[in-house]
Amino acid sequence: MDKKIEEYIEELLKEAEKAGFLEAEAIYGADTTMSVSAREGKIIEFENNDSSSISFRGLYNGQMGYASTEDIKPDMIPFLIKQAKDNCDVLEVKEQITVYEGEKEYPVFNGFIEELTSIDYDFLANTTLSLEKALLAYDPRIEAVDDCFAVYGSAEIMIRNSKGMLCESRSNGFDVYIGCRAKEGDDVQTYGKGWSFSKFSELDIDKCAQTVGKRVIAKLGARPIPSVKTPIVMDKMAAKSLLGSFAGSFSAEAIQKGISRLVGKLGETIADPKITLIDEGMIEGSMLCIPFDSEGVSAKRTVIIDKGVFASELHNRKTALVDGVESTGNATGGSKGPLGVAPTNMYIEKGEYTQDQLFEKMGNGIYITAIHGLHAGINAISGDFSLMSEGFLVENGKVTRPVNQITIADNFFDVLMKVEALADDVDYCTPESTHIQCPSLLIPDVSVAGE
Amino acid sequence: MLSNTSIERILTAALSHGGDFSEVFIERTKATSVSLLNGIVEGTGSNLDMGIGIRILEGDRSVYVYSNDIYNEEKLIRMAQNASASLSEAPAGKTIYLKPQIEYFSQRYEICPSEVSKSAKVNKLRKAGETAMAYSSLITQTSASTSDVEKDVWIANSDGLFVTDHRCRTRVMIQAIASSEEDKQYGYFGPGSGEGYEFFERLDTDELAGKAAKIAATMISAKPCPSGKMPVVIGNGFGGVIFHEACGHALEATAVGIKSSYFTGMKGKQIASPIVTAYDDAKIAKEWGSYEVDDEGTPSQTTLLIKDGILNSYLVDKIGSRRMGEPSTGCARRQNYGCAPTSRMSNTFIAAGESKPEDIIADTEYGIYAANMGGGSVDTSTGEFNFAVNEAYMIRNGKICEAVKGATLIGKGNEVLMNIDRVGTDLKLAQGVCGSVSGNIAVDVGQPTIRVSEITVGGQA
Repeated sequence: MDKKIEEYIEELLKEAEKAGFLEAEAIYGADTTMSVSAREGKIIEFENNDSSSISFRGLYNGQMGYASTEDIKPDMIPFLIKQAKDNCDVLEVKEQITVYEGEKEYPVFNGFIEELTSIDYDFLANTTLSLEKALLAYDPRIEAVDDCFAVYGSAEIMIRNSKGMLCESRSNGFDVYIGCRAKEGDDVQTYGKGWSFSKFSELDIDKCAQTVGKRVIAKLGARPIPSVKTPIVMDKMAAKSLLGSFAGSFSAEAIQKGISRLVGKLGETIADPKITLIDEGMIEGSMLCIPFDSEGVSAKRTVIIDKGVFASELHNRKTALVDGVESTGNATGGSKGPLGVAPTNMYIEKGEYTQDQLFEKMGNGIYITAIHGLHAGINAISGDFSLMSEGFLVENGKVTRPVNQITIADNFFDVLMKVEALADDVDYCTPESTHIQCPSLLIPDVSVAGE
Repeated sequence: MLSNTSIERILTAALSHGGDFSEVFIERTKATSVSLLNGIVEGTGSNLDMGIGIRILEGDRSVYVYSNDIYNEEKLIRMAQNASASLSEAPAGKTIYLKPQIEYFSQRYEICPSEVSKSAKVNKLRKAGETAMAYSSLITQTSASTSDVEKDVWIANSDGLFVTDHRCRTRVMIQAIASSEEDKQYGYFGPGSGEGYEFFERLDTDELAGKAAKIAATMISAKPCPSGKMPVVIGNGFGGVIFHEACGHALEATAVGIKSSYFTGMKGKQIASPIVTAYDDAKIAKEWGSYEVDDEGTPSQTTLLIKDGILNSYLVDKIGSRRMGEPSTGCARRQNYGCAPTSRMSNTFIAAGESKPEDIIADTEYGIYAANMGGGSVDTSTGEFNFAVNEAYMIRNGKICEAVKGATLIGKGNEVLMNIDRVGTDLKLAQGVCGSVSGNIAVDVGQPTIRVSEITVGGQA
């Protein structure tokens, strides 16, 4: 960590004490990104950035006040302190949490991969140009690669407080994304996909291009089906989006505020016994690890749904205090406002079937590959959703033709109860992995609106 | 702040190795907020964001670098030089001198929002929450918040242009939640303005709270919406989100300039029903989505997008202008210095037509009345869009009947525009936040009551 920043934070905490704050905490965050986009055989965009900020929170008059600045210079210390103090004057939060004294030991996670630091402009440029070329060569019906970018990024975070806690972590990563447009007659289809690599050897340009090319071509000729109630196989990519959209329901913060369908449901059966839902900050072999949360609590493994039974909510230290339990290490935010609760790595444990076996079990129905408009088409509390979707018709256990311009509507909590089978396709250690994972699901009786 | 000479040095350094145009964008933003949940102040925020973005263009290629280390001139010059080096080996060899600074006030506040005590804001929000809670025993939660932003920007470029702009926006959000055993439904209003605290002070928050509570209480007893293709009457105001998604985004140079939009090459051609005329108007005084100068320093304008169904203009920024050979329409916008600017909307709406809203309903035998819309999204290549309906009713025999919940409307932009068969007289604007390539920005959507003859409605029934 930069000496100057350390000194700045020491000064800020000292001034906070002088100003009457009983406790104080500062979070320093910094990141850099380098990103390159290619189109039509040339580099059309290049970005290279760095940014940093300091957030302050402090306990004054029994309230925790917050303020942040991106202008890190000594005369901003009085600004931070005054703003946070003013905020304490109006806040009325009943249960107040103190800053955390920290833990003796934190899990070891080296999220900073030395190999990736050699990534430069030329490497990113070559990667994107090769990706575009490979995708255009995949099929003549691929008319254009509208989005093709490669990004190298690194980030560091430090939390320091008046109780002596010091947490630091550093990470970096290399991501690529390609999205293209295919045309046949008047029919236009698009598809895009991203990957995060932790080693150069994982990047396979041709494989990435083939994955995207194959899917966009398969979508050509898509058309709706008549409105129907039908079983669906929801692909893991769509299923994880759905799970992510309702992940907030398991937060103790939402439950305590009465804005979750799961109020009063702890210990009850809320899902089929095939469902086990886990939140796990550190997953062996995965680059998606979060060694400590926004309060400095180390990563935990929390079984949220244990074979269908709602076993634990996700907590930060404040919600844990209210419920008389331990924090599950799920504090989030706290840099531009109050701390909240969010999952770290959340996943539904995999089932026993291959995706093809799910198609066979379903017989006739729809294979849903993507759902859209999740920011609008869901009721995050009740669980209701009605979402524009796309996918393929499945007849006699075999994928037959592409389908689009349909919606699927159901209720997330009903889906948890009625899910018929889970695929075995969850994996946290591949370049496709993201913080939320869910296997492909076979769900009976879903309302589909189409023609 | 950087001195003029420093800015000139950075602009010059940005063309030292390659590039034909350089631009500097500096921003200092003060944001404050306060939020209440069930009448208790749960959150307050005071944030200061500051940074600089340097952009270089060469033809239609661009390089963008940013930092919030704005006092470090040496570092910024180095960043500009490195950025320039990624373009060609042909230096412009130009020294940049700035012209006199032009000062704009996109918004002028009467009462500076960050200087108003938070307790004044709290009192009014608390009363609104109480009003919503008192509306009905079905209301179980309320939330109320206000947020404001004061932003000063400096934009300079290698043509010598140097402008500064003062911006200020205030927004209020009121939400009521109604509960039953198994369900929760929201009612929500989020008005905003290009003004200071005076907007919040003037706003009838109790009336809004009552209306939000009424929607929540109505929707909690609603039945699931039927599915299938049917006529849909879309209410005025936020109903304009359909036009924003189905048409607005596809008219942006971001999509048209690379020929990926389904409206590429359609200028002068019919893209909508002849009763549709639409604008993107950044010049409406004090409106939430308005501004005097865009983020490339181009003065804003009123752009006629569609006249009587014929495509009249796209939304064009500087890069779009180079790609499309059309002048900029002053629509380059960005969330902050962390994003390069691109073509975006301001206040985008379908102009008032000739039908009385009550006649539109009376003329509809069967369908859905979408009184209040939620958000949505669009794929500008295929035209496929989706959006949620927050408050919907069945229409039978020309009358508004029972409320239905969980409706989503989907379709293709080009098809739905042609299928608009009634445009009402009751034009109204509504405020929202649009997220796209250059981040989240304040926009207005708007329209009178309209009817689409056929659209796919997705519901659970």
